[in-house]
Amino acid sequence: MLKSCLRGLKFYFYMVGVSIKTQLQYRYAFVMNILGWAMTYAGTAITMWVMLYSFQTIRGWMFWELLFLFGLSVLSWSICIIFFFHFRNMDEYIVEGTFDRFLVRPIHPFLHVVALKFDVGAFGQLLFSIVALIIAYAQLGLNWQLSQWLIFLGAVIGGTLIQGGMLVLISGVAFWTTRSERLFWTLMWPAKNLMNYPLTIFPRVIQLLVTFVLPFAFVNFLPALLLLDKTKESFAPYWGFFTLPVGVIFFALCFKFWTIGLNHYKSAGS
Amino acid sequence: MIKTYRMYWEFTRKSFQRSAAYRVDSWSRVLGNVMSLGIWGCIWFALYYGKGSVENISFHSMLSYILISMALQGIHSAGTPLWEIQRRVRTGDIAIELLRPYDYPLRMLFTDLGSMSFYFITAIFPLYTVIFIFFQPNIPLSASQWGLFILSAALGYLIRYSLELTFGLFTFWLVETGGVEDIFYFSISLFSGSVVPLWFFPDWLASIASLLPFQGIYFVPNAIFVGELSGQAILPALLNQVIWLVICYGLLRFVWAKASQKIVVQGG
Repeated sequence: MLKSCLRGLKFYFYMVGVSIKTQLQYRYAFVMNILGWAMTYAGTAITMWVMLYSFQTIRGWMFWELLFLFGLSVLSWSICIIFFFHFRNMDEYIVEGTFDRFLVRPIHPFLHVVALKFDVGAFGQLLFSIVALIIAYAQLGLNWQLSQWLIFLGAVIGGTLIQGGMLVLISGVAFWTTRSERLFWTLMWPAKNLMNYPLTIFPRVIQLLVTFVLPFAFVNFLPALLLLDKTKESFAPYWGFFTLPVGVIFFALCFKFWTIGLNHYKSAGS
Repeated sequence: MIKTYRMYWEFTRKSFQRSAAYRVDSWSRVLGNVMSLGIWGCIWFALYYGKGSVENISFHSMLSYILISMALQGIHSAGTPLWEIQRRVRTGDIAIELLRPYDYPLRMLFTDLGSMSFYFITAIFPLYTVIFIFFQPNIPLSASQWGLFILSAALGYLIRYSLELTFGLFTFWLVETGGVEDIFYFSISLFSGSVVPLWFFPDWLASIASLLPFQGIYFVPNAIFVGELSGQAILPALLNQVIWLVICYGLLRFVWAKASQKIVVQGG
């Protein structure tokens, strides 16, 4: 058991190394990709700032709090991209028959798909989110104790697992329908963009949906309530403690779904 | 002359029929548009929550603004996107177009007209008719206001088209277009007033925006539609759009001329 795990890890790091090397091949493209993503997110943050210039607050949230909320979501998303973003392309691997190859390799197919790409472009998002969080932290005059740093860490890891789980779930659907990319753009992308704003501005139905069905609320909104000490919301702040366990459970369920799909999988044939 | 016109018109017809064949595409675009409208509707509702008028704009005017803005953005989204133009340049598909007896930028415009009108008739028009009946936003009350709005929206469309194609053609010189693309999308989304009207911008930023071509894409037609831009003020706004269209189109022709030469050089 341990031996096969170690072997899996060895394969994983080898493949990741190859993936990074291929992406570093074009230096200019590599740098522009990172800068491009950082700029895209900075653009969204600037739009938020312009929006709040005349209005000051949105349901009691001022710009710096909004930036914190946004930064927290981008931080876990960027880590998620590194490992899981290419899962949305699962349909491509299945339709083109590439996936059949993964099944005969001496590594678990799931780990193999994870290892296919190590997206260095995500460093752009990472860069943006860290800068945004530092600025927000300073502007809000926060001074966290160790316990709050632990909650923050839990939110980042849990958030990565929740969003990664979502991508795994979407890719698992492709085992039956051979379609996943479209599902990502129509289902997950809007839900993700929703989370850039305080959840309380949306209808109750949506609040419940992203709390109990697709737990995006745990990625940034609920931990932010706790970390920014916002007590006058319709959610009690202690919800934010649960991001890590919710993430672990949600990811486990999604992984289970994926393996059921894998067992069901019959090659697309060509 | 008539013959040329008829040839371009044929592209519009074919592209209209092609859109009819790929309906799933159209449906997912509608879904995206409605969700985006829902999100921005909630955001503006929350921003106005507990406030009367901000910068002399009432919530009702703002709601009307975001509704018409999303309808226009829906129509624009049926055109050829930037990444598709970039793909054609990268793969060399565009070289074949040069061998054919038509003007490529014009052909693109007419092709987009086909997919756009299909999308407008089958999706945007029925959808937004229902939404408009439901929300009762401000709409143009006179024929002249409708006329000016349509004229302004058409000018806005042409400005966006010229800019998007120009940015796409930059791919001829840049292997990786990452940065260029992001500048384009950022400008289109912020300075065009697509989701945040220029009324709410800080003064210095509003003056920058007024010096750029992007405001002519959504902001001017939207403002005419909701009646915030009316009377004497419309004329300079339209004139500004016309001037920017001439500049952007001129830029497109210039870049296209340079790009065509570039292909010849590469083809050896």
